[in-house]
Amino acid sequence: MKKLKYVGKNAVRIDGLAKITGAAEYTDDIEFGPKLLFVGVLESPYAHALIKNIDTSEAEKVPGVRAVISGKDFPEKFGLYLKDNSIFPIDRVRYVGEQVAAVIATTQEIADNAVKLIKVDYEPLPVLQSPLDAIKPDAVLIHPDLGSYEVVPWLYPQPGTNIAHVRKIRKGNVDKAFKEADFVLEDWYHVPHVVHAPLETHISVSLFTLDGRLTMWNSTQSPHTQRNIIAHSLKIPHKDVRVIASFVGGGFGGKAGINMEVIGAVAAMKVPGHPVKVRWTRKQEFENTSQRQELYAHIKMGVKKDGTITALEHKLYWDVGASAEYGSNVVNATGFSATGPYRIPNVSIDSYAIYTNRPPCGAYRGFGYSEFHFGLESHIDRMAKMLKMDPVEFRKKNAISRKDKVAYGVEMNPTGIQECIDKVAEAIEWGKEDKSPDPNKIRAKGFASAWKAPAMPPNESSAAFIKFSEDGSINILVSGMELGQGFMTAMAKIAAEELSLPLEKIRVELPDTDRNPYEWQTVASHVTWSCGNAVRRAAIDARNQILETVSRAYHIDKSNLYLEDGQVKSYTDSEFKLPFENFVINGIEMPDGTYRGGPIMGKGMFMPEFSSAKVNPETGQGGHPNVHYTTGAGAVEIEIDKETGRIKVLKAAEAFDAGKAINPDLVKDQIVGGFVQGLGTALWEEVKFDKNGRILNPNFTDYKIPTALDVPPVMIPIIVEVPQPDGPFGARGIAEHTMIPVMPAVANAVENALGVRIKSVPLTPEKILNALKEKEEK
Amino acid sequence: MKREINFTLNGDPVSIEVRPNEKLLDVLRDHLGVKSPKHGCGRGECGACSVLLNGKSIRSCITLAVEVDGQEIVTLEGLEKNGLTDLQKSFLKHNAFQCGFCAPGFTISATELLNNNPHPDENEIREAISGNLCRCTGYKNIVGAILDVAKKK
Amino acid sequence: MKEFDYYKPLTLKEATALYDRYGASSKLLLGGTDLVVLMSDGVVNPDVVIDLKGIEELKRLELKDGFLHIGARTTFSELIESSVVKEKFPIIWEASRFIASVGIRNKATLVGNICSAVPSADSAPALLVRDAVVVAASEEGNREIPISEFFVGPRKTVLKKGEIVTEIKVPEIKNKFGGSYIKLGRYSGEDLAQVGVATLAVEGNKYSVAFCAVAPVPVRATEVEEFLKGKEITDELLNEAKPIALKAISPISDVRASKEYRMRMSGVVFARSMKTSVLRLEGNGPEYGDRLV
Ligand code: FES
Ligand code: FES
Repeated sequence: MKKLKYVGKNAVRIDGLAKITGAAEYTDDIEFGPKLLFVGVLESPYAHALIKNIDTSEAEKVPGVRAVISGKDFPEKFGLYLKDNSIFPIDRVRYVGEQVAAVIATTQEIADNAVKLIKVDYEPLPVLQSPLDAIKPDAVLIHPDLGSYEVVPWLYPQPGTNIAHVRKIRKGNVDKAFKEADFVLEDWYHVPHVVHAPLETHISVSLFTLDGRLTMWNSTQSPHTQRNIIAHSLKIPHKDVRVIASFVGGGFGGKAGINMEVIGAVAAMKVPGHPVKVRWTRKQEFENTSQRQELYAHIKMGVKKDGTITALEHKLYWDVGASAEYGSNVVNATGFSATGPYRIPNVSIDSYAIYTNRPPCGAYRGFGYSEFHFGLESHIDRMAKMLKMDPVEFRKKNAISRKDKVAYGVEMNPTGIQECIDKVAEAIEWGKEDKSPDPNKIRAKGFASAWKAPAMPPNESSAAFIKFSEDGSINILVSGMELGQGFMTAMAKIAAEELSLPLEKIRVELPDTDRNPYEWQTVASHVTWSCGNAVRRAAIDARNQILETVSRAYHIDKSNLYLEDGQVKSYTDSEFKLPFENFVINGIEMPDGTYRGGPIMGKGMFMPEFSSAKVNPETGQGGHPNVHYTTGAGAVEIEIDKETGRIKVLKAAEAFDAGKAINPDLVKDQIVGGFVQGLGTALWEEVKFDKNGRILNPNFTDYKIPTALDVPPVMIPIIVEVPQPDGPFGARGIAEHTMIPVMPAVANAVENALGVRIKSVPLTPEKILNALKEKEEK
Repeated sequence: MKREINFTLNGDPVSIEVRPNEKLLDVLRDHLGVKSPKHGCGRGECGACSVLLNGKSIRSCITLAVEVDGQEIVTLEGLEKNGLTDLQKSFLKHNAFQCGFCAPGFTISATELLNNNPHPDENEIREAISGNLCRCTGYKNIVGAILDVAKKK
Repeated sequence: MKEFDYYKPLTLKEATALYDRYGASSKLLLGGTDLVVLMSDGVVNPDVVIDLKGIEELKRLELKDGFLHIGARTTFSELIESSVVKEKFPIIWEASRFIASVGIRNKATLVGNICSAVPSADSAPALLVRDAVVVAASEEGNREIPISEFFVGPRKTVLKKGEIVTEIKVPEIKNKFGGSYIKLGRYSGEDLAQVGVATLAVEGNKYSVAFCAVAPVPVRATEVEEFLKGKEITDELLNEAKPIALKAISPISDVRASKEYRMRMSGVVFARSMKTSVLRLEGNGPEYGDRLV
């Protein structure tokens, strides 16, 4: 392979200057002028109730109120995979905080005050808050019309129950394997709801004009998907819906797909000519966006004395909340992958998406993998203990390798998991004991492995344009989203490499669905791979156009030309140097005064044409639902205060196989940031509900995300590179993965420190002390 | 009832009519076009809306605009009036931020720290920025960037 | 936030007159870090807000006549920056450092913290063990209230209609002493206390103990003080003392901690604080401000 000049080298992020100077514009920073109107939303006080009547007459009378809207105005359903979500519910509310009606007014204050005048008669229904209750045959139905909803062909809602989808995997014969196993262990694990908590709350500004055009400025990871859902649900031609995405103040999956933006869209349609702003408060961000699914997992695993895992039965009961429009795919994706990164011949997986009366759940960094890895990787440590085997050795022995078959029968892609495990073990000094100088404190280490595949429909796709300007600089038009992960920098470097163009000459533009080409969504840690492939192809296309033009004008064979540092050069004539700016717009002048060429504009697109969601619903076999897996490992060293039960993480290390790190520094930053987000869920984060389904901690006072004082002083990010054959320069995604090992690694460290196994997160001091007490009493 | 307030904003005198129940953050953003302080929580819990009031960092989302009558307010826009500060340059070099939404708040807190204590150690830095939440970075590069400035000066 | 009228009196006299006139329909504003949040949430909806930050005489922080006078306008940051506070009133200094974070401490005041009278008020245990006195002014004149009598319930104080707290007076201790305030929160970052304990050890084996966040009001644990009086602090003694100390408190379960955890931690933190105070008295304890949980 030719020597790379940009890819794999470090550079400061290309959006860095915009962000440190405050020049980066977020949606709420855009000025919309004096015609701007504001939306106040009436939220359901009940977790489950029938709506008997909505009286908006008093609110409508308030001076400054332009319109009041509710389900009777916009009865449409919407959703990404399963259309079970309402713009406004018509006949029943399904969670506390659900939007019931909205007021559009000249100020936010007027809107919010008028909301209080809307009268709704409710008839309360029984509230379901646990998936284990909701799955019972006699449970009240949260979606009695489940059978009538539009759904993609690869999800299987079960009408007449609260099951929105079930993904089954059957491979080999687990019953036989359990009988033949030397050790079998089964247990339950629990992971509660958590929230994304991006620093920027959801915001949407919409403008509908009488020419039939709807323009939206959204804080989003999914501009084209939002356009598609809005156009489809509201029956507006796609060409007339325009979604413009500004910089996003954190997404983490929470701004994937669509949620509150639908309110903005319909509100705008009520007041043509006025931009309409809906901005969530922090409380609404907790109550009415998506959360991470709660999971109750039951794991049964069988091993042979030599340490070979022979069987796994994994039952996953997911609380997807009141809507599964997006969360059903989390359930689906994890169903396919709940073996973790291990070679297991006999597998049975049932992954259930279960409705409850909690806020809708959806994509969250890790897409369900963090949740099931908590149980699985805890279980792996416990099996190793039964075998009296070192847990790192046990993982290495069973780790999946290239060409092993995954649970649904497809061959595993090239993977650096062994190297990841080794490097993490080395970094954390696995096996070396460390004592605290404080007699109240005890230290120990914990380990976990991880894998994750992008969860996508088989026909997801990305596209890119590269436009040259007079000075030889380029603008890359894509609709992948810079969420902070370094997308822009990665795309710039991929184009830089193919065009041999310095980074200073490259801009990557934020999405605008009118002008930028299609991107499915910025989710699944797949844009470096998918959109990167599109950009690479666009760059190659532009390069070909350049070579073609120069070849035609100078009669040099294309194969003798190459690009270097923004110039076209020739292998055969070392004197020949043609800077891009000489011709990329205006062409090349011929002796007769005519010109050759014209504006260079590359285009590229990518779709993984080998992917297929067509599988046997009973076994999960027969298709190719996932494009590839990224693997890795993580470990922590913790210190526990035996008196208070508090855990401090002293040191952390994580390694992921990025295939090829386009910008290594930014890959490492993803590892560190993801580790800390994972640490939050391991130690502190949990959405707490009262018995009526109301959130008790919808604020940062009582929902604690890590601060600069709570993160480990030492965090060691490690990059492993086993190239992905179909990735741009071999790259694959790692951004979400970095969260996955943290919860089980900390729980494993706790067991190594204290000899107690805690099977639910967060690992609060109280749980630690209670477990210690139980142990003493035994 | 509206009342006129006069204060210095990034070195320039400002005179504006506000209602007593308007918050400084909203007045800065919506009426004065100063967009660097961000709305993160609106309850004083995240630090995204930080500005300097007479040189001290405060949370503009829980400050009434009337309270700053006669005072001096500096935002990120004011700090960089004469070009990038050393702190900003260091933030840039360290790729300190990801989504960037928290960046103005951290810049205010770190500027205050370095003004009071030009050579803070890592612990002092962590204490000083612990009221600013960042969901993306894990704080490593933010701390590293400030430490770099602290060592150089 | 509901509309209100805003006054910024320049003298205490003006302020007491206004406060007397508007009574319960008005609220006093100092740092606003509590009040403005309550008003935004619609929990408190005054018709009138009286901002005390224009009153020069409330801007006081000085050691005079054997007392530290902390004027109502004194912020926690000003307390932290004061060398007198750090040297002579180190528990107050330490407690101030554990309050919220810089951006709050720059505006929040100690008097405001006390007047909010939340059970978790971090500054209260330090003031309790230092026998602070609350000075309140009204149209009727001045009144001094021992801090131990000041709190009567969650968000309730003994203040009468029209009374404005002008300062807190904290007596100097002439003897050698060591003290400590330990705050247990859910993590090291900004948090409300799950348990807060201040202790004071004065030469001659005299001790004071106070708690916050584990009773309806911040409380002094006098019974255990009596028990410890005259004794040398040892681990055994502290084990005996713990249940006596815990008699002073009555924690509840909430979203921050369970009753049981608070109870258990009150004992742990009490012992840790007491040991720290004794070590500091002896001159070899950890630095004031170090995190001990
Ligand atoms: S927005 Fe002001 S502190 Fe969060
Ligand atoms: S960089 Fe995203 S919140 Fe800090």
